[in-house]
Amino acid sequence: MSYLEVKDLRVAFPTDDGLVQAVDGVSFNIERGKTLGIVGESGSGKSVTSLAIMSLLNRKHAIISGEVIIEGKNLITADEETVRSYRGHEMAMIFQDPMSSLHPFFSVGDQVAEAYKVHNDVSDEKAFDHAIQMLDRVGIPEPAKRASDFPHQFSGGMRQRAMIAMALCNDPSLLIADEPTTALDVTVQAQILSLIKDVQKEFNSAVIVITHDLGVVAEVADDVMVMYAGRVVERGTVNDIFYRPEMPYTVGLLSSAPRLDQVSDRLIPIEGQPPSLLRLPAGCSFAPRCFAKSHVNGDACDTTMPELLQTRPGHDVRCHLESSARISVAKQRLAGEN
Amino acid sequence: MGIYIFRRTLYAIALLFVISLVVFVLFSALPFDPASLTCGKNCTTEVIEANRIRLGYDLPMWEQYVKFLQGIFIGRDYGHGVASFTCPAPALGYSFFRQECVTSLLITALPPTIWLAIGSVTLWVGTGILLGIWAARRRGGAPDHIINVLTVFATSMPTFLTGQMALTFLIGKFGWIPPPDYYEPYQNFPKFFSTMFLPWIVLALPGLAIYARLTRGFVLETGSEDFVRTARAKGLPEKTILWRHTLRPALSPLTTLAALDLAFMLGGAVVTEKIFSIPGLGRLTIQSVIQYDLPVIVGTTILAAAFIVVANLIVDILYSVIDPRVRLK
Amino acid sequence: MARTKIGAKLSAVFAVSALLISACGSSSAEGSGGTVTYLTHAEQILHLDPQRNYTGQDLAFSVTYLTRSLVSYAPGAGAAGTELVADLATDIGTPSEDLKTWTFTLRDGITFEDGSPITCAEVAYGVSRSYADDLTDGPAFAEAFLDVEGGYAAYPGPYEATAEQQALFDAAVECSEDGKTITFHLNSPMADFNYTTALLTFSPVPLDEGGNVGEAYDKNIVSSGPYKIASYTTGKSLNLVRNENWSADSDPFRKALPDKVVVKFAQDEKGIDEYIINGTGPGKTALSLDGIYPDNLEAVFSSADMESRRLNDYDIYVTYTAVNVAKMTCLPIRQAVFYATDREALRALGGGSQFGGDFADGVIKPANLPTDYKPVTGYEDADPAGNVVKAQELMDQAKTECPDEYTRVTTKGITRDYADGDVARQGFAITQEALAKVGIKLNANFIDPGSYYGVILNPETQGDLSAAGWGPDWLNASTVIPPLFIDNGGFNVSQTKADPDYAAFAALVDEAKANPDRASQGAQWAALNQYVMEKMWVLPGLFTKTQYHWGSDLTGVYLWQPYGCPGFNDIGVKN
Repeated sequence: MSYLEVKDLRVAFPTDDGLVQAVDGVSFNIERGKTLGIVGESGSGKSVTSLAIMSLLNRKHAIISGEVIIEGKNLITADEETVRSYRGHEMAMIFQDPMSSLHPFFSVGDQVAEAYKVHNDVSDEKAFDHAIQMLDRVGIPEPAKRASDFPHQFSGGMRQRAMIAMALCNDPSLLIADEPTTALDVTVQAQILSLIKDVQKEFNSAVIVITHDLGVVAEVADDVMVMYAGRVVERGTVNDIFYRPEMPYTVGLLSSAPRLDQVSDRLIPIEGQPPSLLRLPAGCSFAPRCFAKSHVNGDACDTTMPELLQTRPGHDVRCHLESSARISVAKQRLAGEN
Repeated sequence: MGIYIFRRTLYAIALLFVISLVVFVLFSALPFDPASLTCGKNCTTEVIEANRIRLGYDLPMWEQYVKFLQGIFIGRDYGHGVASFTCPAPALGYSFFRQECVTSLLITALPPTIWLAIGSVTLWVGTGILLGIWAARRRGGAPDHIINVLTVFATSMPTFLTGQMALTFLIGKFGWIPPPDYYEPYQNFPKFFSTMFLPWIVLALPGLAIYARLTRGFVLETGSEDFVRTARAKGLPEKTILWRHTLRPALSPLTTLAALDLAFMLGGAVVTEKIFSIPGLGRLTIQSVIQYDLPVIVGTTILAAAFIVVANLIVDILYSVIDPRVRLK
Repeated sequence: MARTKIGAKLSAVFAVSALLISACGSSSAEGSGGTVTYLTHAEQILHLDPQRNYTGQDLAFSVTYLTRSLVSYAPGAGAAGTELVADLATDIGTPSEDLKTWTFTLRDGITFEDGSPITCAEVAYGVSRSYADDLTDGPAFAEAFLDVEGGYAAYPGPYEATAEQQALFDAAVECSEDGKTITFHLNSPMADFNYTTALLTFSPVPLDEGGNVGEAYDKNIVSSGPYKIASYTTGKSLNLVRNENWSADSDPFRKALPDKVVVKFAQDEKGIDEYIINGTGPGKTALSLDGIYPDNLEAVFSSADMESRRLNDYDIYVTYTAVNVAKMTCLPIRQAVFYATDREALRALGGGSQFGGDFADGVIKPANLPTDYKPVTGYEDADPAGNVVKAQELMDQAKTECPDEYTRVTTKGITRDYADGDVARQGFAITQEALAKVGIKLNANFIDPGSYYGVILNPETQGDLSAAGWGPDWLNASTVIPPLFIDNGGFNVSQTKADPDYAAFAALVDEAKANPDRASQGAQWAALNQYVMEKMWVLPGLFTKTQYHWGSDLTGVYLWQPYGCPGFNDIGVKN
């Protein structure tokens, strides 16, 4: 049984220029012990999706519909107090920039302890002891001593470890990591990713890793969801996505990223820019940038938004192309041939 | 930290001496003759000269300054024969207009100004911050607009106008509020309060508006910081997020501002003290300027400067307490 | 008069901006008891120390409540208030035949607030204090008149005097064995020396000054009057309570009506008027020592409600323009300036006829010096708005009589000294325009008000014309004509010595000063006033007025002529 069910999640931001549909009908499930990678460019809606799950979007500025169900409870319609009791407790989140995400005026230990104390009726001392334990568990050396240090006294990797300690201190069933390694040195990235994998095993949590970095996904994810312009365009196991990608956008992402497991002469960037969410194209959102558009008969790409359809069990794709055509186009592209 | 404070204190003392010297030089450079001001009817040059000697303006400026410095350390004698008397150290001079030692004038004028300053600064900082928070949380809503209009209004109304209107109408015309008078709070607190609250409000209005705007800005700015999102993600209640996480970074600039404002107010609120008959430093200052009462001008200037200097020192120390990233060297 | 003395009285002319008329409501002062409150914007009473007090209202206040003198003016409205009566003395003084010795006998039962008796020694001590350099601002009349050998230079006052120096003073001020009689030896005959003793310079001070010697005495004076200081805080208040050691039996005129007298300092000027007009705050039982705020004059004097609690009466001052005779040597030109001046427009600047006052015809004011006043003749054709025709005639005359001076005033022009201010600048514009009509070019020297007198009293810095004002020190034109027009008289801004006829004039003045007969002396002063005007040593300005108002629960307010302020003696609270 899935731990988290997201059904037809939609998030829109009204602006002076019109409605920005940041997330448009996203649905997915995730089980405990599994890791879901959400991949997409900036503005694809992946971060907004995670914030919507955490209910961290300001409801005054965002129109949210759909369902986010954790163990039968729909957080979208739940009252603020219920949602708050879930946050940091049932579900926790790690952010991109650990420097700015940690409060500069409080010691690291205090910040971890605060996260623990808010959901557990314990004394300050106990909470702080727990914080030290957590810091120890995420690999901070001399945690008792470093706990009273302030974030600016920590290195980037240590800060992210502290963030992870803070997120994990209440044994959350769901951990969302939003670009957890983007702001870190490459050498530190691997450590953090393996830490996330380790703690996931230890806590048996469901993990959502949001990233634009396919390498991160390959490293940690069981399943992958590719988003473009607020919609899911392809979804499958990590093998489906990396070895049998069908949606041209996924293919484009893969062909524009260096891979160690495949030999390729050159990287092929995706041309053009992601569309403005204010003025999405009439048909497929990706159509203006799609290299495979010529393989589709008629003007379906420009007039109709394709459905997200199953191409194989557990592998869904949103594309007008026939499945077989998709595979061959993808192969050519990944071989660097067009 | 101890060394830092010691060094800063020495620096502050040196600064005060420089300020006193500057005031001395400035006033000696002014195109007026203090001795001739003491002369009205029956005035002759002999009278002017005799008064010049009596007031000590016959000496060269440097000698006057040396005598002034001596007074600070060993006190200073005035008068002749059996009518002579001493202003004990630290003597900042003697006011022939008020017939009192400057130091005791300052000591007498200080409490009213302190109460006025503390009351109004507390009121304006406190209310300003609360209004600012309220406006920020209802951003774009009615409270935000109302506060916006009020702040524009309050900052554009000079104190002499609001003060004069408050006095003329609330006290003079309608008699709703007891007339100005000054009581020490420990002598008669109800009377102290009933005569002080109007000056507090009048003095607080412009500052209140400024603090409301600033706080609104801080709250909105900090509210979009990543660490506030983190706090929310931890499941902290909104109250904790606001008071602990959002306002804490605003504490540094607000504390700096409030401490300097307080120091500035401790130098005396000229207009408010004058309108509301508060016998404080501000009125002492303005009266001494009107009368060209040099010793008092020097005394009040040095005291006001001392408040600013000390406040700056305290602010620096507070900074290191408030913001862990700041270390005093 | 080489003395460190400051005439604050004179400066007050510039504080008085406007004045006026109404019968002074002298209601009967019944109400005794209660508290009378006086409101002022000032920080303190300039001086309570009797030897330093020289401001009209402060003198009136002090003499009524705290400090008795040898003689005083009988408090009362109008002429009744100008009569000299005995106070500490049993009569108003007895002069010797040659008018060089004056003797006063002290009453029985007169004491200070601590019950200690007031004798000749305390009076003499008080007078001697006026010599001390430590005590500024008081009038220098003792030094001027007492026959202390060597004068002020020889006697430094009681604080520093050696036994020999003190002996010089003691020879001039003599006490009888029993301490009941005090004799003043004068250096020249004076018919009106007893008026001088109405000034507090001649008031007693305890020999130990109540423990507050010199400067400190000012805030801690030892009372001889019906009240004493309970507390006195600069910038806050002066509180008087009854002096239990004062006895009405020993005092011929003080009524001592209220139980308490409070002076509230540092009050907002507009606030004071609001309290009084609306009866708010302390207003019902308060009187404003500052008069009425100019903006409120119209309202106060048009309000029926205020009818019984306002006054508009003459103060003690005459304003005028001193003509520097040393520079303005040509009489027709001096007269032309007078004729050409638009006095009507100038008066309008200062409150108009209602509040500003009447056009003066000289320097003697009929309101406070009726004995010495006679209308000046010869200028009946001087239209208040200016008589350009007459002025032009005079200028034409000057062209032939004194051509050099004529050339100077019409080309280079003449300079008038002003104490700087908005009104002064407007006044200059009016006068400049008026004089230009007859070809006189007027320049202005605007001087900081604080240093104004220092500038105009120095012949080197003085201009051709100088704005000035004067009030008598006591009710005899001997304190007007001599100081204003006699060399070294103290305020001879007109530099009359430069006039060829000065010697003759000075002789007439000496004659008048020594005349013991008050009535004929008055005629002499009136004639000298006429003389001054014929010489055009001054351009007369206004017989100024002052306005006061008070709360509805006060009774007995009237203007006391000798001091040009409310007579405090009859002020009480309605029962």
